[in-house]
Formats: sequence, structure tokens, C-alpha cells
Amino acid sequence: MTKSDRRTALLFFSPAAGFMILFFVYPMFLLVRDSLFDSKTGTEFVGADNYVNALTSERFYKSLYNTVIFVVGAVSIELIIGLILALLLSTGFKGSNFARTLFLSPLMIAPLVAGLIWKFMLNDQFGILNSFLFKLGLIDSPQSILWLSDERYALLSCMIADIWLTTPFMMLVLLAGIQGISGSLYEAANIDGASRMQRFWYITLPSLKPVIVVAVLIRMIDAARSFDIIWVLTQGGPNFASSLLSTMIYNTMARYNQAGYASALSILFIIILISICGIFMLRLWNPNKKAV
Amino acid sequence: MTALMKQKRTVSSMLVLLLTGLFVLAFLFPYIYLVMTSLKPGTEVVSTTPTLFPTVFTMDSFRKMFDVLPMVKYFGNSFFTAIASTSVSVFLGSLAAYGLSRFSSKLGNMFLLLTLTVRMVPLISVAVPMYGIINKLGLYDTKLALVLIYTSINIPFVIWMMIGFFDGLPKELDESARVDGCSRLGAFLKIILPVSLPGLATTAIFSYMMSWNDFLMGLMMTSTNAKTMPVGLSEFLGAYNLDLGPMTAAAVCFSFPVLIFSIMIQKYIVSGMTMGAVKE
Repeated sequence: MTKSDRRTALLFFSPAAGFMILFFVYPMFLLVRDSLFDSKTGTEFVGADNYVNALTSERFYKSLYNTVIFVVGAVSIELIIGLILALLLSTGFKGSNFARTLFLSPLMIAPLVAGLIWKFMLNDQFGILNSFLFKLGLIDSPQSILWLSDERYALLSCMIADIWLTTPFMMLVLLAGIQGISGSLYEAANIDGASRMQRFWYITLPSLKPVIVVAVLIRMIDAARSFDIIWVLTQGGPNFASSLLSTMIYNTMARYNQAGYASALSILFIIILISICGIFMLRLWNPNKKAV
Repeated sequence: MTALMKQKRTVSSMLVLLLTGLFVLAFLFPYIYLVMTSLKPGTEVVSTTPTLFPTVFTMDSFRKMFDVLPMVKYFGNSFFTAIASTSVSVFLGSLAAYGLSRFSSKLGNMFLLLTLTVRMVPLISVAVPMYGIINKLGLYDTKLALVLIYTSINIPFVIWMMIGFFDGLPKELDESARVDGCSRLGAFLKIILPVSLPGLATTAIFSYMMSWNDFLMGLMMTSTNAKTMPVGLSEFLGAYNLDLGPMTAAAVCFSFPVLIFSIMIQKYIVSGMTMGAVKE
């Protein structure tokens, strides 16, 4: 590459780089710096105190635990329902394209609006879900499950809203994956007299594996980062029952005004997320190993 | 084919139809319920014996929402910040993607790694120091602040989408443009961008959605002047507000146009969502 080429390349990506340095690299630097200063005034250097506080705080572990439950629970249900939907649509029946369009609709709705809708449906006074369960005879009174204010159900309610909102993404990606599997594989299996179940286990699932891994990874990152839905539904309550790392950081910052502590929490959150993704990706892209 | 096999086939395809139908109903129900609720009179909205359909259809909630919420202003703010940040980030992002796709360098690779890392960083983490920066620049509660932030959130995404697209274009295309006397930038603007229009459209749609749907940044960076719709909507939940009819009406106004539009352009949405995960 000539010198002028190098200069042109630099010209091409420097405006974008400028933006990212100003609004990502520099904030990250500030984040690290703030995390080393005290929370009250932000002027006194306290070293690793904020980190020690976080790592010894029960609330941090509670939020971390909730985040893990939320991510694993929501994403695995999304995967299962998404796979079922993709398989149903892949049969290509008349109207399957129309059904796919209908399934897409939650995807286009803002997470905040999704939260509002579910807050409405799960309300313990006038929510339609309880009234429906009551009519089916599954619960004794329409007020008997306090979806959003009972510690046992708060996190589950957030998961339900997230599952509704993002399962269509899972379905879409898996459907594209299934449609990409070569038809000759199925023909060969048919000649060998494979049953439907066998075709699914020995052809569809193994061929779909790379797609599943990528889709799950994307969803895991986004589920771990989610904030809007939880904020609208429960704000992390009651009694931190649905507190995720994201809502805990927001509360620490906006309610308790502890910038130093919030920064330390943020750094820990970033480290945890990036290392989990890193492990995932190393397994995915290491050419010496078999792909996952 | 024997009669028995034929019968078995009809039964299983009926089952597929039935299951799909049930799932479609389950997935559509929440949104339909929202729309129906927005058409109910105020007392019915919070009735303890809720029904799906209103007993009387009324536009009351839609009329009332203008009194409770400066709808037009918030809507305008959302629209302006989303359009502006999409235009800037798609332009700068694809410029960068083109540079990275055509000239590989150490610096470029490092930059690429940075954009990938950004994808994994929780927004809430950077929001904390960003708030400080915006304040220092004197941009708190301005639309410019949101445009700047949305642009920088979207740029890494645009780069990743467009790099794949540019990599697929033959290099001869640039070279022939250069032979014809175009500068590098000229070749990019006159030849490469027009050819990449489908990719640009997909990318722009997703950038727009990211900005339009954002809640967190709007919540942290605005108070009255630059407030966006999602933040305005969330305020219905504050205090003891039982007048939820206007909230549902506003939520419908905010989401319905996007929903219809996205169904019209679903080809791009499907290709964008599956681009990253499924290799053609």
C-alpha cells in the first residue's frame, strides 16, 4: 500500500473514529477514573474501595444472580419457541409468509411500549391475564397473583415481556437458517427411510448449530443489557427481586447519586459481559477446535 | 401414495396450521389489546373485569392525550433526532466501512475490534460518563446531544453491516472509476454508494429504529425541551395515575405508524436481521 493510500484510508475512517473516541473511548476512560474516586464528592482518591464495596455487597450478587437467571431463562425459552415457530413456518404451507409477517410485529415495537403493554396486562387490579386465568378456573380470584409486586413473580414477569418482544427475532434467524439447509440432505434421508424425528435430529439440528450459536450469543448480549422493560415493569423491585445489573447501576447513579460506586459497578458489568462473549467467540472461531 | 399416508399427511398439515394459528394469536394479542384499550372509554380502561373489545368505541383517549402530554413536541423530537442521527451515522459509518474494506491496516483492524467491543458494552455503563460530557459541553436537554449520542451508538453497527456489503463488491468497480478520473472519494460517492443502496436502506432502517426506540439516553439526557416520546410515555407511570387511557392512545400513536411501515418494508428488515447470523 502506498503512502497516499494509507492517508486516504485514514481520511475515510477518521470522522467515524472521532465520534467513537469522543463518545465511547473517552467515556470509558472517565468511567475507570471515576470508579477510583469516592462517591460523595468525587474528588477524593479511594483506590479500589468502590470495587471492594461492590464485590462484598449482597445487592450486587443478588443483581448479578438475577441477571443470569433473566438471561438464561428468557433466552432459552426464546430459543425453544423460536425453533418451534421456525419449524412450523418452514413447512411452507399456504399463508406461511403471511404468518411470518404477523410474527414480526412485536419486533418493531419499542421495548418501552412492550413494557407498558405488559404492565397493563399484568396489573393486579385490572390486568387481563389474571382475569383470564380466573375464568379458566386456574386461580381463585382475579387478584390472587400479584405479577409485578410479588417477589416471587416480578422477575418472571419481566422475562415474559422480553420473551414476547424478542422471540420473533429468534424465529426469523432460525427460519433463514433452516431454509439455507440443502434439500439434497433431506432427499438422501428420505431414500434411506428416515423418520421425521430422525431428519430433525440428524439433519436439521446439526446443520442449524452455527446459526443457533450466533443467534443465542446476540440475544444473550442484548438480554443482559436490557433496561427499558424492567424499568417500566418493576424498576427492579419489589425488594430488589427483579433488580438486574443495569437497573442497579441506574439506581445507584440517578437515585442515590453515587457516581463512583456506579462507575465501579459499570466496569464490573462490562468485564463480565465481555469475558463471557470472549469465551463464546473463542470457542466459535478457533479453527483448531471443532465448532462448538 | 396409499390412502392411509395421505390421511396422515392431511392430519399433520392441519396440526401445523392449528399450532401456527395459536401462536400467531398469542403473539398478536398483547398489541391488539393495547389498540382496543385505547378505543375504550376511561372507566372501562381500568375495569376490574376487563374485556378485549370495548363496549363502546370512542376516541376520547386520543383527544385527551394532547392535554396530558405535549405529544406534538415529543413526537417531533423523536422524529428529528432519529432522522438526523440516522443520516449522519449511515454516511460516516459507510465511509469508514469503505475505508476499512478497501485498505487494510493495523490501525484499521484495531478500530474494527473497537467497534465489535462497543457492541458488547451495556449502554447504561457509558451513559453515566456520557451524561457528564454532555453537561460539560452545555448540551443537556438539547436535541443535538441526543443526535450526537445516537450517532455514536449507531456508527459501529453501520460499519459492521456495510463492511460485509462492500467486501462483496468487486474491486474492479473502484478501479474502473479511478481510471475514468474519479478521486477515491468520488469513486465512493458516485459509484459505490449508489450500488449499495439496498444495504444502505437496511442499515438506515435499523439505525432509525435504534434511535426512535431508545428510552435510556432520552431519560438521562433530557428534561423538558428535548424529551422524546418514550420518555414522555414512561411518565404516565409516575405518581398515582389512574387515567391510563391517554397513555394507551399515545403508545398506539407512537408505535402504529412504525408497525405499518415496517410491514411494508419487511424485505429489508428480514435481510438485516438475518445478515449477521446466517451466511448465504
